[in-house]
Amino acid sequence: MKLEVRGLRKTFGENEVLHGISFSVESGSALGLLGRNGAGKTTTIRILMDVFKSTGGTVLLDGKPFQPKQYHIGYLPEERGLYPKKTVSEQLIYLGMLRGLSAKEAKEKMRWWLERMGVTEYENRKLETLSKGNQQKVQLAQTLICNPDIIILDEPFSGLDPVNSQILKDVIKEQIRDGKLVIFSSHQMSYVEEFCEDIAILNHGEVVLSGDLREIKREFGRDRLALSSLDESTSDLARRLNDMFSDLLEVEKVKKDRVIIRKKHPDNKNAILSRLLEQDVDLEFFGLYEPSLNDIFVEKAGDEA
Amino acid sequence: MKQFLTVLKFELNNYFKNKSFMVTTILLAVLMVGIIVVPTFIPGLLGGKESSQSQESSQSGNAEEDSLDTLGFFVNTSEIEDVDTLLAFLPAKWESFADGESLKEAVESGEIEAGFILNSASDVTYVVNNLNIDDRLSQDFTEAFGSYQKQQYLLAKGLSAEEAAEADNVTVNLQPEILGKNSGRNYLYTYVLVFIIYFLILFYGQMIAVSVTTEKSNRAIEILVTSVNSNSLIFGKVLAGAIAGVLQMLLIVGSGFAAYGAFQDAWGGKLDMVFNIPGRVLAAYAVFGTLSYLLYAFIYGALGALVSKTEDISKSSTPITLVYVGSFLVAMLGLTNADSAMVKVASFIPFTSGNAMFIRVSMGSVAAWEIILSGAVLLLSCIVTGVFAAKLFRFGTLHYGNPLKITKALKSVRQQQ
Repeated sequence: MKLEVRGLRKTFGENEVLHGISFSVESGSALGLLGRNGAGKTTTIRILMDVFKSTGGTVLLDGKPFQPKQYHIGYLPEERGLYPKKTVSEQLIYLGMLRGLSAKEAKEKMRWWLERMGVTEYENRKLETLSKGNQQKVQLAQTLICNPDIIILDEPFSGLDPVNSQILKDVIKEQIRDGKLVIFSSHQMSYVEEFCEDIAILNHGEVVLSGDLREIKREFGRDRLALSSLDESTSDLARRLNDMFSDLLEVEKVKKDRVIIRKKHPDNKNAILSRLLEQDVDLEFFGLYEPSLNDIFVEKAGDEA
Repeated sequence: MKQFLTVLKFELNNYFKNKSFMVTTILLAVLMVGIIVVPTFIPGLLGGKESSQSQESSQSGNAEEDSLDTLGFFVNTSEIEDVDTLLAFLPAKWESFADGESLKEAVESGEIEAGFILNSASDVTYVVNNLNIDDRLSQDFTEAFGSYQKQQYLLAKGLSAEEAAEADNVTVNLQPEILGKNSGRNYLYTYVLVFIIYFLILFYGQMIAVSVTTEKSNRAIEILVTSVNSNSLIFGKVLAGAIAGVLQMLLIVGSGFAAYGAFQDAWGGKLDMVFNIPGRVLAAYAVFGTLSYLLYAFIYGALGALVSKTEDISKSSTPITLVYVGSFLVAMLGLTNADSAMVKVASFIPFTSGNAMFIRVSMGSVAAWEIILSGAVLLLSCIVTGVFAAKLFRFGTLHYGNPLKITKALKSVRQQQ
């Protein structure tokens, strides 16, 4: 299965909030939809789920217009909420049946997922009596109860402690391994890095960066090196580099443990190293700079930060 | 269809698993049975004085004596010569008093029920502790006093006492022949049935609106609208409210009918005006009541989707509540004249036809084609309103913040189409 979003536009009143969003994702992989608050992630997801109608663009599944109601989709909306006064089992069975399961199947799946999430003991408890983290697990159980082919998770990690986050990560990895098509939005870059092959960074309703995460990282690291010294702070090292290496490099960023430099010529890595040795810099680290997703995100979406 | 049935079952369970709903239903049903059954075990409660009087020929003298009121009198004039004859015109246990004060004290202490101070041949003071709205004593005494005066006049003109009594005994036998309907007889059950629908619409309308808004306020709505067709959702919710309401009414009113059926003889047919309803009237009530109920239920459901918090519902639903209260007032006016032009017009307007056409069927003259036309218009309005409610519901469900105005929501729905 391949889901393609092409030139999606959405206008609320006079205000256009999506200006032509495009990305694609295939079964067995996950797409991380990243963006700051108000970037358009939730609106994009709601259009995918047919909650909102787009004002332009298309969504295709295997080349045909995507009709969400025709597929089993596991959707975890950003606005979490179920029935606080109902028992966990009642609402999971109800939502399972609404998505096409028989009562018997819904009951079996409900039990399976509660066990998988480690909340079996709450089956007959009212939702409102559960902790926030456990309510979140019930939410995830409802998302996956119908064994969906497509899973769309809007900020799935918000509100989860590290242990519960690990359970969710494991579940998402299992789903990807099982060949499911996963789209999820998150602010937590470490999770996205962990299991997303592809990302799309949204900023002000536009995709500012998209594609294979490894390639993006490689591209971002190109012509850049990271180095540090054992007997100098990064700021002192940066100053020396600016004074004595300006013909070979320029200092791009001074981090706590590394100085990030950009080579002035693609092939002068060895020349820089030789100069460093000549200058008797006691090198602790010298290597290719591999940016974190967080660095990429801040650079691409942090214009107003 | 499967989704609709799933929603319907879930929503019905919400009502039936609601303890207050069940307790209220059972309590009201028991109360209804109690109101009908208990009085039959309390001697004299159903018969009263009237019944004793009508059966006076078969009653023993003592029993008759016991059922009479104890009344006092004080003659404060010499104009009334034959007080015993006067008192004989109003059967009671009469007690004579020496002055007005002692008579008033006796009334006040409850020793006697009421008293009369005869001031002159045309002036009497009626002394009573509390004057009830249905007080008949004063009227009875006035009639008795009139009869006495007439008799005295005839005696003075030379007639014997028997002749004078005979002159007063002429009665006219007026037998009504009703060609249409007996509104007097139909009034009570029509009133009760209209009132039941009034209660159902306002009470369940609010409950349906609350059930929609609650799903918005607890944020379950986004999962629902992405899992199920919004038509199935709103129709399931509204019909669940309708079924729960009708079942509750059937249980409460049905208990009354069953209890009256079993104890009808003890009541001597006194409640026939409420419980003896012709099948044709019940059929009209079932059709027009249900459709009208559904029409308003859909509107309340859609209005529930336009607000985010349950406390905003009353504000949002006030206009439609006023429309229905207006329809109820038209119905109340129609009860006094079911064939008036106003009721005729109202019986074809969907918002008022539920009550108005039912009243015409029950109490007025109406042609079959009028009933069919009105029913068809109401049914069509229900369907159209249902579809619009589903669209408004779908539009309003993800709107949070200030309540949406229905006109703005309708405009937006039209633009989306």
